[in-house]
Amino acid sequence: MADDLKIVGLLCNWCCYGGADTAGTARMQYPPNIRIIRVMCSGRISPSMVFKAFQEGADGVFVGGCHIGDCHYDAGNYKWSRRSKIVEDILEEFGIEKERFRHEWISASEGEKFKTTMEEFHKTLSALGPLELE
Amino acid sequence: MSYVLAKSQNEDIHKAGECGGAVTSILKYLLDEEIVDGVLAISPCDDVYDGIPTFVTDSQDLMKTAGSYHCAPTMIGDLVQKYLFDKKIAVTAKPCDMRAIEELIIRHKINKDNIYVIGLNCGGTVPPVAGRKMIDLFYEADPDDVVSEEIDKGQFIIELADGTEEAVKIHDLENEGYGRRTNCQRCDVKIPRKANIACGNWGAEDGWTFIEINDEKGQEMIDGAKKAGILETKNPAEPAIEGRKKVEGIMIKMANKIQDKMYPTVSEMDEWNRCISCYACRDVCPICWCYENCELNKPFFKDEQNVPPTPIAFQGVRLSHMSFSCVDCGQCDDVCPMDIPVSLIFDKLQKKYFNRTGYVAGVSDDIKPPLYSPEKTEL
Repeated sequence: MADDLKIVGLLCNWCCYGGADTAGTARMQYPPNIRIIRVMCSGRISPSMVFKAFQEGADGVFVGGCHIGDCHYDAGNYKWSRRSKIVEDILEEFGIEKERFRHEWISASEGEKFKTTMEEFHKTLSALGPLELE
Repeated sequence: MSYVLAKSQNEDIHKAGECGGAVTSILKYLLDEEIVDGVLAISPCDDVYDGIPTFVTDSQDLMKTAGSYHCAPTMIGDLVQKYLFDKKIAVTAKPCDMRAIEELIIRHKINKDNIYVIGLNCGGTVPPVAGRKMIDLFYEADPDDVVSEEIDKGQFIIELADGTEEAVKIHDLENEGYGRRTNCQRCDVKIPRKANIACGNWGAEDGWTFIEINDEKGQEMIDGAKKAGILETKNPAEPAIEGRKKVEGIMIKMANKIQDKMYPTVSEMDEWNRCISCYACRDVCPICWCYENCELNKPFFKDEQNVPPTPIAFQGVRLSHMSFSCVDCGQCDDVCPMDIPVSLIFDKLQKKYFNRTGYVAGVSDDIKPPLYSPEKTEL
């Protein structure tokens, strides 16, 4: 059932978390499947966190950070952007579709972008169905 | 970077060593002049199948490390960081050892100023047990009679005590599942150019060692040994340099072919499903240096309720920690109780990472692997 899909969202405090907040205060409707975990910077996220989420039963993992150039800590999102490529490569090795993992740059003012991203991601995951780890 | 041909001036070393004993002579020079406290090299234990790392502090004992062995362990980098960190040492290193040392230098686990590396060109190592069996099966000789072995022109050659030689094509051995270890078969770094000097017999005439000097420290080493009267050198002729280049080229080409054949055939999920999370691959890995601080030891990564364990929580995390720095030494394959081709999968990811970033573990000049560098670039 598509409504049971679990999405773990790791959102950076300064931008994407603010973006989700903006979407909330503007009362935008988006799929409620995401469980948001606030982190101080997308550069703080390590691939192991993504794997742990999948292992614990997430069907998709979303990472949101500041736009390139806007990082509160100068270069954290550059680091994450490079790390994310490795995550994709490794997920493939474990039979997890790389579409289940998504990352996006969303600023604090982009409530609308957060909403559409969630809708898209939910749609992708619904098509893939729940994740079954072997 | 320059090339020289070298051989020992010391008669005993010349006789005992491989290709004129240049490496042993340089080690002796470093020890005698007290430039280093000790030398880490390989010496045979019971027979030629039993190469064990030996730490030598007296140049008298160096003689037992002379000669080359194909049943050599690939744990040199790990030994240096674990036990010899605060000592000034010289070490002989195959390309994979050198790559491990380089990766550990990047991680501040080995002090570059404390270590002299004498690189050895390497065409591959042979697992000892399979090596004995192979000689039993494919050669007429008794494995116990073999006094030395050599890989040359695509053949695995053994020499017996009475001087007779026997050769079998490596290709034939490897088709039957013998020959070099699988990680060596696909290894495409044959000359350790990060070492101070890289020594080998490719391109050299008989009784001489071909040395590629990679940096100033290497040059000082050679000049010093020459001055001490223990090493004799001459400039190699143009054909020798070309010949060496050609051998390296052929080896790399062969390795690339085997890579193309091996990478697509591995079916990761079938392999991972056998994993019992014994942590042996982590413990033996030269790049994994965190020990008790390893993220996998943290309570939130303990995976005790799942039997068998979910592979992504163990191997996935390990892959993300160090697969981009995998030096393909193959020790994880050796220790895996479930015979999972761990190094093949890690090496495959390293190659993927190389295709994205151009970073070759332990070979590239980057100060940090791109994953950790503060550089403002996206992939």
